[in-house]
Amino acid sequence: MFQNRTEALALALPAALFAAIVFLVPVAILLSEGFRTADGWSIQAYIDFFSMPLNQKVFLRTLRLGLTVTFVAAIIGYAAAYAIVTLPPSSKGKMIGLVVLPLMISPVARTYAWIVILGRTGIVNQALMTVGLTDGPVRFLFTETAVFIGLLQLFLPLMIISLISALENLPRDAVPAARVLGANWFQVFWKVLLPLTREGLVIGGTLVFTGSLTAYITPAILGGSKVLMLETLLYQQVTVANNFVSASIIALILILMSFAANILLRRIASARNSK
Amino acid sequence: MSDAPYLSLEKLTLAYGKSIAVENLDLTIRKGELLALLGPSGCGKTTTMRSIAGLMPVKSGRIVLDGKDITRVSANRREIGLVFQSYALFPHLSVFENVAFGLRLQGMSGAALTEKVDTGLRTVGLSDFSARKIPELSGGQQQRVALARSLVMKPKVLMLDEPLSNLDARLRLEMRTELQRVQKESGVTMIFVTHDQVEALALADRIVVMRNGVIEQIGTPEEIYNKPASSFVADFVGFENIATVVGNKLVGSAGEVTCPATLPNAAGLAWRPHAVPLGSGPYRGTVRGVSYAGSSREYVLETPLGPVKTEVDAALPTHQIGTELAFDLPPEAAAPLRKIG
Repeated sequence: MFQNRTEALALALPAALFAAIVFLVPVAILLSEGFRTADGWSIQAYIDFFSMPLNQKVFLRTLRLGLTVTFVAAIIGYAAAYAIVTLPPSSKGKMIGLVVLPLMISPVARTYAWIVILGRTGIVNQALMTVGLTDGPVRFLFTETAVFIGLLQLFLPLMIISLISALENLPRDAVPAARVLGANWFQVFWKVLLPLTREGLVIGGTLVFTGSLTAYITPAILGGSKVLMLETLLYQQVTVANNFVSASIIALILILMSFAANILLRRIASARNSK
Repeated sequence: MSDAPYLSLEKLTLAYGKSIAVENLDLTIRKGELLALLGPSGCGKTTTMRSIAGLMPVKSGRIVLDGKDITRVSANRREIGLVFQSYALFPHLSVFENVAFGLRLQGMSGAALTEKVDTGLRTVGLSDFSARKIPELSGGQQQRVALARSLVMKPKVLMLDEPLSNLDARLRLEMRTELQRVQKESGVTMIFVTHDQVEALALADRIVVMRNGVIEQIGTPEEIYNKPASSFVADFVGFENIATVVGNKLVGSAGEVTCPATLPNAAGLAWRPHAVPLGSGPYRGTVRGVSYAGSSREYVLETPLGPVKTEVDAALPTHQIGTELAFDLPPEAAAPLRKIG
């Protein structure tokens, strides 16, 4: 299409310059902050960061929540996706619409809705007290459970959609064929469904995991300062503590965790596929 | 082949939700028999097959296999093989692993497994393909893998859904002989579903013609071909001229004619095109269409009965469209029908 590479590069130059100036340079400056000391470069700031118990706790909590949300989303998402795929076409469309619907509502509005549901006088507490399971209101808000529920609700649709498209691409009659050959339902899942939908599981898993790591509004509203996650801790370090070194370190950790999750999941998928 | 029933369907009724797909079906199949379920799409033949495999819940009635009621036995415990129309191979597994799939589920491994899989692949002529991936195979090869995958399980009954419909004409002929050979060698009881009467006639020991969820006729290929019981079966096996008998009148789609000869005691009569003589006879019709078919020439006549199709020797002089000609519908050359409609 182009006479030479220079022409093509010239066309890409404005976009490249823009991205470099407003994205790459600031990110580089921010990340370098964590390695800079008064007399040169060092990783001392990282050692200091991870030696603080609060930071350790927040890091592990973020990792734990990210993994459990992804794991639970995969399990209940798989069941939902399988159920939806086996529906007749007309109701299938409606169900997919219902799954997608929450994605059209602002995450802020969705998260505030959880306050109404989980609050001291919320629906859940009122129901528990009416039934007599508890005498006083149970505290849900500002607990890890609340953040877990909020994140799961937020990202479950992404998992379901990824799995629906994977299940729709299954070869026709693959499941009945396995049944007739003697597979029970557990074997059908393990030997046929799972290997053939692994790709969808990897995509869904990456979306849910990185989404959970980098979500800010949900942990901020449902966890507050009691259940800090890396993202909310980062915000706190910048706005309250004015500690740009910590912020830089957290930012790098988040980037590395997202990359690691993606690489790991893809590795798992391709290893199984090439078998 | 013994005469005792091996697989029996008793008053079988199958439904998708509220719509009945198969109603009160009674059928017995002998051990070692090659049976064809023949009928147009939507007649319930595939549904019947899926219910035998346990993939379709039975609304009422029973399925008995080898003296055992299997109506409520789940699909994975029925010992019935099914080769799907889409083949339904597992694309993430090699040819070898596809064939080994069911055997591995039975706990087989090592040399015993390899030997069984190799035997299975040899039976279908795919010995050199065991390491191949499924998407690398042609349609015909994929079908052989699907066949081998079912055969190695030594099923009590092997069923095939439209086994030849996805193959091109040359492969179809090849696969037809192949299926017959495999069936005779293994002695397996085989049921196959088809909408193609030629396939059913060529392959089957016995043919079950189905229509709208009920059996229209059961018989040997000769019986079905020469003595169709109803106008539906007659039409299906190439009797293109069908008339209802009312007293000494023949009634067609457009009107009726009076027959000078005595008509047999039947609900209707059916003629193949070559059984309708052209140029002589008590009836008259106008040529509306001529087509050349090599050794013969086919004419469509407009007659008081409606369109009549005849087939005459191509060596005879051609009649032009619009010519009025005499023709005959000789009762002695017709197949008597017990049922019309």
